Amino acid sequence: MKSKRKNWNVAAKYSKCLNNLMDKTDSQILRELQDNFPLCERPYEIIAEKLHISNEELWKRIRRLIDDGVIRRIGASLDSRQFGFCSTLAAIKVRPEQIGQACEIIEKFSEITHSYLRKDEFNIWFTIIASDQKKIKDILEHIRTSLSLEKSEILNLPAKRLFKLDARFHNYIAAP
Amino acid sequence: MNCQISDIERKVLVVLQEGFPASRSPYSDMAKSAGLETRRLLAILEDWKRSGKIRRIGAIINHLKINLSGAAMVAWQVEPERVEQVGNILAQYSQVSHAYERQTAENWPYNVYTMIHVADIEQINEIVEQMSQRCGVSKFRILATEKELKKVPPKYINTDYQ
Repeated sequence: MKSKRKNWNVAAKYSKCLNNLMDKTDSQILRELQDNFPLCERPYEIIAEKLHISNEELWKRIRRLIDDGVIRRIGASLDSRQFGFCSTLAAIKVRPEQIGQACEIIEKFSEITHSYLRKDEFNIWFTIIASDQKKIKDILEHIRTSLSLEKSEILNLPAKRLFKLDARFHNYIAAP
Repeated sequence: MNCQISDIERKVLVVLQEGFPASRSPYSDMAKSAGLETRRLLAILEDWKRSGKIRRIGAIINHLKINLSGAAMVAWQVEPERVEQVGNILAQYSQVSHAYERQTAENWPYNVYTMIHVADIEQINEIVEQMSQRCGVSKFRILATEKELKKVPPKYINTDYQ
């Protein structure tokens, strides 16, 4: 067990990818945790029973998947609009030397949930979830003026229709 | 702020936004911190799941750890009358995690957006080319992901002042 554990860390260090080292049980656990997380007092017991493993075994494997960063978090993903929140996708065009400052501003707003550096003249993209449209406008205006951007250097692209939202990656967590 | 949110919903949102606790009885523990009975919390979550207020309950995976290190957002310029058809075709690809129609902006004509994940960024051009031909959309912009700058769960209720 100890040497197996060591292999995990070596692989993580060199390839950043743990897929090849997850066994069939890990894949099954990930699938259950993503698709059928039970709504009942002791959800993990239901999963353990379904996969014919002990509660201890399940818990040990889940801890390892969390520690290794495969599982980011366990929780509920909400449709924020149904609770009255507003959201948008925005992008800004900033010079390389402004990226650090832009990151600081983005970090500061709890309404900004995701942000990525992208290979484009619009190089910083981010999503905002806020209690109302005005808050979104204010945040965008604050970012624009703080970075001295022209109006044409900031994009506000709210969603009109959702076609797909599925970040479970089932095809890529294949059992070996 | 949100007049649609009742006191009890607010209590549930406050615990949910923290993510499930790392315990074997996550719902009981959350109910306790929200000051609710466990079965009450479970009933609310059942209801939210049924009505679509909860999209999904469960684990969120870090795709970078499962052989998917290449990612790009692709912005497509689709004729308005073809958006429905093209959006549905793109949504069928297993490499696509997110697909949205979005508003356009001045000098920014792109109206359909897809997040695409591949094992290696070198594969992006090939898959986008396939999608482009399949959908009959020739105008698109590949916005390759260079770095994650921030990723935090949404904070629906500000608890700093409570």
